[in-house]
Amino acid sequence: MSASQPNTGLPQSTGYGPRTTDHGSRPKIAVYWTGGCGGCDVSFLELGPALLDVLSQIEIVFWPALVDTKRSDVEALAPRSIAATLVNGTLRTEENVEMVRLLREKSQLVVAFGACAYQGGVPGLANLSSREEILHRMSGNGFHPTPPPGGDAEDAPPELLAQAKSLSDEIVVDYVVPGCPPMPPLIGLLFDALLSGDLPAPGHVFAHDKALCEECPRTREDRVLTKVVRPHEMVPDPEVCLLDQGMICMGPVIRGGCGAACPKAGMPCTGCVGPTPNAGDPGLAMISALGSLVRAGEEGAASFAAEDKLLDALVDPLGTFYKYSLPAYVRGAGKRSDR
Amino acid sequence: MPEAPFEPRIVAFLCRWCAGAGADLAGTSRIAYPSNAIPIRVNCSGRVEPEWVMEAFRSGADGVLIGGCHPGDCHYVSGNYKTRRRIYLLKKLLGELGIAPERVRLEWVSATEGAKFARVMKEFVVQLKELGPLSVGRDPLSVNRGPSSEHRESVVAERQRETRVGT
Repeated sequence: MSASQPNTGLPQSTGYGPRTTDHGSRPKIAVYWTGGCGGCDVSFLELGPALLDVLSQIEIVFWPALVDTKRSDVEALAPRSIAATLVNGTLRTEENVEMVRLLREKSQLVVAFGACAYQGGVPGLANLSSREEILHRMSGNGFHPTPPPGGDAEDAPPELLAQAKSLSDEIVVDYVVPGCPPMPPLIGLLFDALLSGDLPAPGHVFAHDKALCEECPRTREDRVLTKVVRPHEMVPDPEVCLLDQGMICMGPVIRGGCGAACPKAGMPCTGCVGPTPNAGDPGLAMISALGSLVRAGEEGAASFAAEDKLLDALVDPLGTFYKYSLPAYVRGAGKRSDR
Repeated sequence: MPEAPFEPRIVAFLCRWCAGAGADLAGTSRIAYPSNAIPIRVNCSGRVEPEWVMEAFRSGADGVLIGGCHPGDCHYVSGNYKTRRRIYLLKKLLGELGIAPERVRLEWVSATEGAKFARVMKEFVVQLKELGPLSVGRDPLSVNRGPSSEHRESVVAERQRETRVGT
């Protein structure tokens, strides 16, 4: 790590050994996207100079966003010949499922990369509507999932799954790099482990087990929530805990590791890194936390109506608490009999 | 054989100081009330976590009753206030999930209100019979799914299998 490196705010060079031109000895890496936005693919760039260190030590065998490789290239590979496959995106179509199963077969390790692959992500909120409702809406907007004029039947878009799924719903996932998109420090941890060969236990999530509040620089003073304010409604004080100021920040139940990027920028944590192991279900843990924090005057029967009114300002608990994890925690939403 | 009429299953979390004692009083006073509830005594209604309510639904409950002390009577000063706010939020969440919020019921029952406990149970059973069974299955909200827990074993199993094949 040389002192002359510019301070980019990004992780310093990981200092991996001398670069080799012997591609044959490098571990083969694949990166695939399913129902994602592409942000995860771009997030690798945030490694900055360290990315060069990583790239000099791996061989990319498959990465649709970056290199011209086809599914047939993957099919031609021997089973387990890919050292690690990083999959980002939620599973939304039958093709997604076919591809991740294929990649699982060809890979020694599969990493769920990003919030979508980990717990379903933002596209997973579509599970609040049924497949039929979604298709109806799309065809209402002029989209028809049929082959293009003159095309073969196999040129038609792949079938939509009944529900969006996280990666672990379909295949065994060895590791998780959470985040939307994953933050450079977390990606660095993954490559550090992959390239050093010092692999953590299966199921490891490359983030902290402690809550985000542990690394948040803001100070908690009142430890009560006296109002619910949405981010666009106020410019928060730069020093004070966002929950103290009335913003619904998921910090108490969400893993740290991102460096509290959002709270530092005045935005409440929305939970992209996923809940801490102790919190379990993020929504239920947040309900528990908010129940303790809310105050509308002196506690007691006289305040009940005011407390309810205060909590009513939290208009969408489901969308707020499960923004990145609906498929992982809520199954079959939108088709239950009580509705 | 005619199908047996639907009998709702209820999990009742009752606080030790008030609602639990009230339920005991209903029993010792020989007040008849439906036997649909599995009572679970907790030290305070404030100890009831939303996760427990969902776990009850996952485990096949059609309704969950939480019994606590009247406002101002909580043995731990404010546990019942906390649980009231939690249940209020949880009901909002249940509504969004497509589970009728009425399936969760929070009641204040003092140690002397055996009759009230019996009345609440009767009302709740009638209400749940109207709502019908809750077909949540084992799965709708689950704790710590994701690779960190559930798949760990399958990963280990796969590794072991591979090792055996390799050797």
